Order: sequence, then structure tokens, then C-alpha cells
Amino acid sequence: MENASKSPLANEPLLRIEGVSKIYDGHIKAVDQVTLNVASGEIFALLGGSGCGKSTLLRMLAGFETPSQGRIYLGGTDITELPAYQRPINMMFQSYALFPHLSVSDNIAFGLRRDGMAKEAIAERVEAMLKLVQLSQYAKRKPHQLSGGQQQRVALARSIAKQPKLLLLDEPLGALDKKLRVSTQIELVNIIEEVGVTCVLVTHDQEEAMTMATRMAVMSAGSFLQVGSPKAIYQQPNSRQVADFIGSVNIFDGPVKENHTNYVLVQCADALLRVPHSQPCQDGMGVGVAIRPEKMALSRKKPSAKVNHVAGVVVEMAYFGAHTSYHVKLASGKVLQVQVQSHADEDNADLCWGDQVYASWADNAMVLLTQ
Amino acid sequence: MNSTALKWFGRSWMLLVYAFLFLPIFTLVAYSFNDSQLVTVWSHASLRWYKALMHDRDLIAAVMLSLKIAFLSALVSVFFGLFSAFALHRYRRFTGRGLLSSLASTPLVMPDVIVGLSLLLMLVSVQQALGYPERGLFTILLGHALLGTAYATVVVRSRLTEMDSKLEEAAMDLGCRPWQVFTLVTLPLLMPALLSAFLLTFTLSFDDVVLSSFLSGPGYSTMPMVIFSRARLGLNPSINALATVTIVVVSVVVFASTLYSLRQARQRKRDMALAQRE
Ligand SMILES: Nc1ncnc2c1ncn2[C@@H]1O[C@H](COP(=O)(O)OP(=O)(O)OP(=O)(O)O)[C@@H](O)[C@H]1O
Ligand SMILES: [Mg+2]
Repeated sequence: MENASKSPLANEPLLRIEGVSKIYDGHIKAVDQVTLNVASGEIFALLGGSGCGKSTLLRMLAGFETPSQGRIYLGGTDITELPAYQRPINMMFQSYALFPHLSVSDNIAFGLRRDGMAKEAIAERVEAMLKLVQLSQYAKRKPHQLSGGQQQRVALARSIAKQPKLLLLDEPLGALDKKLRVSTQIELVNIIEEVGVTCVLVTHDQEEAMTMATRMAVMSAGSFLQVGSPKAIYQQPNSRQVADFIGSVNIFDGPVKENHTNYVLVQCADALLRVPHSQPCQDGMGVGVAIRPEKMALSRKKPSAKVNHVAGVVVEMAYFGAHTSYHVKLASGKVLQVQVQSHADEDNADLCWGDQVYASWADNAMVLLTQ
Repeated sequence: MNSTALKWFGRSWMLLVYAFLFLPIFTLVAYSFNDSQLVTVWSHASLRWYKALMHDRDLIAAVMLSLKIAFLSALVSVFFGLFSAFALHRYRRFTGRGLLSSLASTPLVMPDVIVGLSLLLMLVSVQQALGYPERGLFTILLGHALLGTAYATVVVRSRLTEMDSKLEEAAMDLGCRPWQVFTLVTLPLLMPALLSAFLLTFTLSFDDVVLSSFLSGPGYSTMPMVIFSRARLGLNPSINALATVTIVVVSVVVFASTLYSLRQARQRKRDMALAQRE
């Protein structure tokens, strides 16, 4: 999460997307009025569910699709109409798209040869790339003679060999199994940072986006719901959809009962909540209050405060080592998810199925969702 | 019926089918070594008809003509098949796409007799108007190439459909102009399909008798035409010898190519297993 501080503040962004839309067949709005700046050195993630338009946006950056509206600028020059083969942008494909008839080193050299680079220079660069992705001893192999993880690294080497100004990654780890994926995320970020290339990556895995990206955008139905650092989006989601999409969350619904300058009282079915909030709300307006499971505490004793706690019954619990996850059923029938650190106070150490408990949380654990 | 009876019934049925398929071929091969002038009477083994075959100028000329036509028409078919398949696959919208698509497959469903007849009529009127082309090698080649192009288009197109379109995008992404994408990526990946299209159109041309009969002129008889016309006058055992030679050549080619592709597949499987284990 401390990645957030790394994003540099350049004056002219490396990539500028201005009001870009893509409409297929006259009515399918795959991408809808997207505007975005990506600064040099950033790793920017596009996160969203299936069919939200991530790949379409990425393909417009690569030059495989032309926007129906809007412009795309790279380093200040308009590249909207530039064909893919003239853009200083390279892409790593989801299924890798390695050329099956070429060896690993020929795959990596492919783009360099198109540039008419000298033979020795190509050999040198290919060697450096192989070393970077630790595949030097596999140079002569064909892609089908490599494991999935090795193929992924060849694809990465091939896409950065030309030293592009912008690297596009479409679900870079999508084809790997879960265990390999987690270790590869870090490795990939290390390589990208070593090369120093700016990245736009597409993923539908929120953990992947959070670990890899310095900044990210949550997409839905072709447009951006929220853009920000992973930390900001996790802690301050601006809508119910974003809160739901990023991590697990408990959302209480209810009307605004009282509206004060720096907090509102929300009357939910199970409790009265006092939510710090500086934006104006109207009385009676229906809102949601989001609380992350790990920000809640469980106790057998009733908390002394009048607000910001609920009573319920433990209906499910699972021990994960570092933490224990509880499902608490409230009077309204709503089931809360609560995550308790294992070394937390002894009061809840022996909680069991069917126990009557109180869940409580700090004021700043709540986020008011007005949309 | 109990299970053993069923098993025996199945086996005998299979035997019957095989006998039906291969007995005529075996008979033909066997009788090619028969010394007798009569095709149906066995006297004793000899290579007499093979010697006769070697001195049969007409037959040898016919074989050479057939090979030449088959080779050239296969080349032409694969060339045009490649480009029509590529155009149909790549360009989803252009004027005449529907027309090209249906034209390309018409010869597949149209009876050869109709194709041959209509071609003949056209060629005759063209010849009357321009004094060219004389019917002969060129006109046969034209007919075979027409038919072959249709088949080659189908073969190449199916390979293009199953090819990962991302490969072409990757090539473009890495700096290939459209024609470089074609020569550096699409074409090498299509090689196996082109080879099988070549073999298919070669055999199609080699054993065609209908189109050739319509389109050939005096002095241009292909091997199947000669066999056909001789068979009508009474079978000549040297035809058996020729057939045997053809069968042997074809079997060797088929056997070798099957063996080759099998070994390739096995090697590939082994490589992949090895890569996963590392
Ligand atoms: N060539 C096309 N023609 C018509 N519609 C298309 C085309 N490509 C994409 N779409 C539509 O545009 C929308 C966005 O597609 P896109 O591939 O960008 O989604 P995605 O976010 O990448 O999803 P996924 O995570 O499943 O890959 C989808 O509804 C899709 O059906
Ligand atoms: Mg996609």
C-alpha cells in the first residue's frame, strides 16, 4: 500500500486519454467517455468485472481499435490515428501470444528486427532480456517446451525488449494458477520497476490490482467509477459498487435521521449510526454505511456508547491462523462479516456458535455512501 | 443373443467390411503378377506386364501428363486458395464478399459433369472468338485448378479460423506492417495447411476423369482417361501393373507422412510434459 507515495507528480502526463468512447455496431457502448492521465513511471491498473470494457480500452491504447470519440495522447503527441506498428507502445497479451514457430530468443528479437537494429545489438539486448527474466538457459526452446510461468516471462521479455514508452498488460497473470500468481505479482513489479517503464494493466482480480498498482481505476459498464491509489479506494470508496467490488464489506442501509455539520445520524434496521461526514446530506435521504470486516470488534459485553454497535448471534466461524472470521446474524436477519485478529483481547477468545455478541467499531471505520 | 455370439458377430462383420474394401485391391495386385493374357485366369507368376508397362509409350506419356497437370494445378489451387481464404477470413466487409464466398464453394457441390460441360461450352466460344485456347494441357489445368481452388480455400480457411488472431496482433504490436504480419507470422503458421491442401488438390487432379474428358483435346490423354478407355476395350493386365505401382507409391507417401506427424505429436507431448515438470 505504501506504493501510493511513489507515484510521481509530473507536469505533462505521459499518457492522456480525453473523453474516449468506443461504440460497437452502433449501440454497444464498450467504453463510455473515459478521461484519464497516467504519469511517467506509474503502474496503473484498470479493474472491473467481466465485460466492463477494460480490454477494449487497452486495445485502443495499443492501436488495435480506433476510438469512436475522443483523443489519446502519448507524451503530448496525438496518437489516436497512429497504427499499432508505429506506436512506441508494446503489449503483453493475456494468452501470451508467443509465436509458436519461433524459439524463445527469436520471439524476443522479433520486435527488434523490425526496427532494423544491428545484429550484434539485437543479440546483446536479447541476452540482457533473457537474463532479466532468468531464462538464459531456455533461449533455444520453442514456446510449447516451456511451462506456463516461463511462457509468461518470455512474453514479458518480448514486450519490454523494444523499450516502449508505455507497456500494456492484459490480465498478465490470468493464465497462471493461484499460488504461482501471488509470487509472480511481486516479481513482475520488480522487473517493471527495474526497467522503469510506465504500465497500464488490466485485471479483474482486486488483490492483484492492489498489490501491483500505484494507482487504479475501478470500471463498470464502460466508465470509471473511481480513480485513486489502492489505499484511497479501499478506505474511501465513493460508491456502493466500488465498496462491494474491492474487498469484503458490510453495508448498513437506512435514511438520514439527523444532519449535522460534521456528522450524520443514520437510522438502520439494527442500530443508530453516527457517521463522520463533511458533505451535506438531506434528512430522510437513503444512504449506505460501509464498514470493513477487519475494522470491527466482537465482545460479549454491551458497549457503553449509545451508537455504532449492533447485537447478534454467531452463526459461523472459521479459524485462519492470523485471524478468525465470524458471521454474526443480526435481529433484522442481516449477516455481518467480522474479522478478528488472533492476538486480540481475550474477551472473545472462546466465542462459539450460538453465542450472543456485540459488534462495535470506531467512528472513522465507517464510510458514508450516498450513491 | 449372448455376449460371445455378439462378439463373434461383430468380428465377422468387421472382417466382411475389410474384405469388401481390400479384396479388390489385393486381387488387382495379385493379377498384375499373372503371366496370362486373360485378366481372370491365373497361369503363373511373372513380371511380364511390368515389362510391357515400361514399353507402353502411350501409358507412360499419360502418366507424365497427369503428374504434370496434378502438380501445376495443385500449385495454382493452393496459391489462389490461400488468397481467397485469407480475404474471406480477414476482411469481414467488402463488396462482393458474399459472392466470392459462395463462388469459392460452388465447385464443391456442383456435379463434375456440369462443371466440365459448362467450362467446355465457355472455352469453345472463347476459342471461336479469339482463336485461343486450343483444348489440351492448358484447358485441363484450368478445370482442375478451378476445382482445386475451391478445396484449397476450405482447407486454408478452416486453419485460419482456428488460428489465434492474437498472434497477428502481437506481430503488429511489435512493429510489423500488414504485409510483414502475413509473411512472418501468418504464412509460416499456415504451412501445414498449405501442404495438406497441396496433397489434396494433387490427388483430386490426378484421379479426375470427368473434367479431363470434357476439357482435353486430341493428343492429351491423362492417365485415368487412358485406363478408362482401355478398360472399355477389354482389360489389359499392364493396367494392373500400373495400378499396383500407383498403390505402392501412394501407400509409401501416406505411411511416411502419418509416421512423421505421429512422431511430431509424440515429441510435442513429451516436450510439454517435460516443461511442466521443471
Ligand atoms: N468486436 C466487438 N464487437 C462487438 N462488441 C464487442 C466487441 N468487443 C467487445 N465487445 C463488447 O464490449 C464490451 C466490453 O468488452 P471488453 O472485452 O472490453 O470487456 P472486458 O472488461 O475486457 O471483459 P473481460 O474481463 O471478460 O475480458 C462487452 O460487452 C463486449 O461484448
Ligand atoms: Mg478482457
